[in-house]
Amino acid sequence: MIRVRALAKSFGGLAVLRGIDQHIKHGEKVVVIGPSGSGKSTFLRCLNLLETPDSGSITLDGEEITSPKYDVNRVRRKMGMVFQQFNLFPHYTVLGNITLAPTRLIGLDKAAARREAMALLERVGLADKADAYPVQLSGGQKQRVAIVRALAMKPEVMLFDEPTSALDPEMVGEVLAVMIELAREGMTMVVVTHEMGFAREVADRALFMDEGVIVEEGAPRSLLESPLHQRTRDFLSKVL
Amino acid sequence: MAVFDQWWAAIQERSVAGTLGFWESIYKEIYLNFISDARYMNYLRGLRVTLIVSALAAMFGLALGILLALGRLSSARVGRFRYLSWAAGKYINIIRGTPMLLQLLIINFGVFGSVKMDKIFIGVITCGLNSAAYVAEIIRGGIQSVDKGQVEAGRSLGLTSSLTMRLIIFPQALKAALPALCNEFITLIKETSILAYIALTELTKAADYIRSRTYSPFMPYIISGLMYLAVVTVLTKVIAALERRLRQSDTGAGAR
Repeated sequence: MIRVRALAKSFGGLAVLRGIDQHIKHGEKVVVIGPSGSGKSTFLRCLNLLETPDSGSITLDGEEITSPKYDVNRVRRKMGMVFQQFNLFPHYTVLGNITLAPTRLIGLDKAAARREAMALLERVGLADKADAYPVQLSGGQKQRVAIVRALAMKPEVMLFDEPTSALDPEMVGEVLAVMIELAREGMTMVVVTHEMGFAREVADRALFMDEGVIVEEGAPRSLLESPLHQRTRDFLSKVL
Repeated sequence: MAVFDQWWAAIQERSVAGTLGFWESIYKEIYLNFISDARYMNYLRGLRVTLIVSALAAMFGLALGILLALGRLSSARVGRFRYLSWAAGKYINIIRGTPMLLQLLIINFGVFGSVKMDKIFIGVITCGLNSAAYVAEIIRGGIQSVDKGQVEAGRSLGLTSSLTMRLIIFPQALKAALPALCNEFITLIKETSILAYIALTELTKAADYIRSRTYSPFMPYIISGLMYLAVVTVLTKVIAALERRLRQSDTGAGAR
């Protein structure tokens, strides 16, 4: 579904990604772990072209999205993204946040967008917050709304950039629960995370990144319990 | 007005006799500079001109200022808009770096020197062009104060950069810029007084005209000053109310 070849990206002379090759299959759940500065967030952000790769190619469903002719806005509609800092729009209500893109981009009429948004909010247990503003929500609630906002565009892939890292510990569970449910429904997911429990339970494959390359990959259980590389072992010994 | 005239007659007698008290002399000044010969109409006509010029110049300045701010932030390095950022920057620098009176004289005697042009029009153009440079910097600051995660969230949903600017960044930028914009509008209202220099009878010129009739050195200016003060006070209250409404999303008040 997503094929990444020789992806490289540097910021002002600092090579952040140094040749990434990946194939993410339809319905697959991939977690990306690694120390800060390893390039895992940049990798994720290259997938929906929030960062423009310096070289290499990314194809989605056989179409090369890194080609200059490709409309970046089209690929982003197919890939929902959830951010560490939620990035809800503070001047819109919860419902406004969710219906903004569908009404503007898919041409959904207001009533239909509203119905779909309410159905999604119902699923994450936030239907009663539809008319609240983001500032009135807790961190966990904000992140659940952010997930719903991305889902409202009916994406084929969901990208999660450390979705629980900015949350108070007691709110991590409610967000992970939504993500686990999403995974069970068969959504293709790429998740940058420090939640090793989530990786173990949900992921089909785990990638360990360090210094801009994928050092090691495999089934999450084996990667977490019996890593092959010293760098992976060093990292895991610090976080587990 | 008969009652004022009766008082006036009484005061005049005592004024000649040289027995006028303090409050009576104040009343004499007010009568002379505001009531007699319907002079209040001079102020009101002047106030009307000041308000018309200020309102039109504020709208013109706001519109042009927003365009300048977007131009200044434009990152186009190729194509039609290549020089946009550079040109906007130069414009802002020149307008802010020269006196507004000078700009007025250039526009009045230079640009429109050989054509008969309405003074109000010249006033609106001058004040608008001048204000736009300040508005541009205020709006630019507002746009840059919005968290860049907001752009990313908008773009990640598939919104184009112009839709993201219009629906997500600009409303937040305007809200952040509102206090500074209010300040700019207040400055603008008062700066229209330099239009007296090209003989546009706005509020300051009107007061000066009264002074030339009555030879009262204080009262005409104090009266016009109170009128400016009233206008600015009302504007401040209106914008404060607007700010309170926009703050709704910060506090959640009023959201049900």
